[in-house]
Amino acid sequence: MLPNRSRLSVLIFLVPPLLLYAVAVLLPILQSLFLSFFQWDGVTDMQFVGLGNYIYMLTGDTVFWTAFLNTLGYLVICLILQLGGALLVASLLTMLRRGRELVKTLYLLPAVISTVAIAFLFQRIYSLEPAGLLNRGLELIGLGGLQTAWLSDVGTVLAAVSVPEGWRFTGLYMLIIYAALLAVPQELEEAAKLDGASWWQTFWRIKFPHIRPVWITTTIIATTYALRGFDIPYLLTNGGPGQASELLTTYMYKTAFTSTDYGYASTIAVFVVIECLVAVGLILLLLRRKADA
Amino acid sequence: MTTTMAPRRSAPRLSPQPPLRQHRRLNVHRTLTSIVVALIVVVQVYPLAWLFLTSVRTEQDFANGDPFGLPTGFTLENYSRAFSTGNLALNILNSFIVTSGAIVLIVVLGMMAAYALQVLGFRGSKFVRGLFLIGIVVPVQIALVPLFIDYAAVNLLDTYQSIIIPLAGFSLPMSIFLFSSFYEYIPRETYEAASLDGAGPYRIFAQITFPLSLNTIVTVVMVNSIFIWNDFIFANTFVLSDGLKTIPLGLQNYIGAMGKVDWTATFAAVCVSITPLLLAFLVLNKAMIYGLSSGGSKG
Repeated sequence: MLPNRSRLSVLIFLVPPLLLYAVAVLLPILQSLFLSFFQWDGVTDMQFVGLGNYIYMLTGDTVFWTAFLNTLGYLVICLILQLGGALLVASLLTMLRRGRELVKTLYLLPAVISTVAIAFLFQRIYSLEPAGLLNRGLELIGLGGLQTAWLSDVGTVLAAVSVPEGWRFTGLYMLIIYAALLAVPQELEEAAKLDGASWWQTFWRIKFPHIRPVWITTTIIATTYALRGFDIPYLLTNGGPGQASELLTTYMYKTAFTSTDYGYASTIAVFVVIECLVAVGLILLLLRRKADA
Repeated sequence: MTTTMAPRRSAPRLSPQPPLRQHRRLNVHRTLTSIVVALIVVVQVYPLAWLFLTSVRTEQDFANGDPFGLPTGFTLENYSRAFSTGNLALNILNSFIVTSGAIVLIVVLGMMAAYALQVLGFRGSKFVRGLFLIGIVVPVQIALVPLFIDYAAVNLLDTYQSIIIPLAGFSLPMSIFLFSSFYEYIPRETYEAASLDGAGPYRIFAQITFPLSLNTIVTVVMVNSIFIWNDFIFANTFVLSDGLKTIPLGLQNYIGAMGKVDWTATFAAVCVSITPLLLAFLVLNKAMIYGLSSGGSKG
């Protein structure tokens, strides 16, 4: 603490940022909570329904449950691509002698591109008629039988809208994990090798425990980002065909701005927040406990 | 730190060179690793290369051609069509306005809050930190409906501010934590010496903390620019008139505007829209990569 500070100086520095934050983030959270207990179309009078929205959501709304399961599928695919891909490439990168900077830059490139541009790009990649990059690629390697219209096939659409999201941010997580891997002391690794540890053992017993705190942070960031994923499914399929690629976020958006059911949309939004908090709690619980064991 | 580590590191090097066979195996291993990394990078970057190649193809070539083939001809006509059909120039201008507005808020307010929390310190600062942490975990969608209603009440719908406020608000916490974690490393003695010389909190902020923050500012600006320049959800919800549309919304209009999608022109527009960020990224990529990796490991 600075010796010469006054209460006034603290307020002068703290109040402007808090004000913006309150208007943009804190107040809307409280408003959403409040709205979730009402039925309101934005025009007629608000009607208090108590827990009615929540009860309908959890017991009567099949679209909600479809969207929830889809969200979990979307999450799993994103995490495998982002964290798995990131860990793989980061550890391969530490073994390279040259070109690390180039690989880092190239690998991060997709993160710079807007979701709308990515949606355009993947719409063409998945296209069947004329054959897009993916279908043509399958044909070239002799798997032409697998060709399909990835975005209108109910069985593939969820994976098809998840992959672009995983692809776009894997570079970001790779950078974070790579920096952590570099910080593992060389002596530990060398000592383990002298003791005859294999590459795999060195990785799991020495390196991974060392980067665990960063791994936890990365998992939390990736999970909360995947749970709020919206742009790419909304732009590519708008949840369709049917509800095959509907996520909670796209369902909430449509409920709010297509059906103008502000109350019920807020209920879904509150659920998405709770889902994020539960996910963070679970990650901390699971990964921390393993660290103690 | 490096000086104390040097003697210990050199110890194993005293042992004789590893036998030749082991050496060779190591080389094979390295080559394999390089090949795998190269393959992964190609898969990762190929869609982008393809995007660019398509933007210089002739329409004819795109319609009949093999997506893997090289363009048969080179044309910039797609670019002129892209500029003449949409409001591309206006969209870029709007994106600049929104991005710079939000970035200024994020940097200035982020530094101020971090200074109050980390340097000045006060009772309850832990609680305030906790409040800011909420903004990192909570998804932005929670704010859409309330802000839409609030904006309608105070006539802010369809303005630059309507996008700038939530973009800045949700990015503020990360900026505060980046600045705070940097301020931790400024030695207490620096401040105590300045205080003894009679400098108050404002002068210390202006003459010590702010000038020292420049590197962190570059990081915060770069990282946030990506997300704000590319924002889709806030712009899509709060902006209705064509005159205010940012790049992502402008691009989306390409499909509607032309009925049948003119893919080569659309891809030319996409290329134009990503150029400013791409240039900034390639020029400043060291600063940005540093910022992204340190931001994650400290968060």
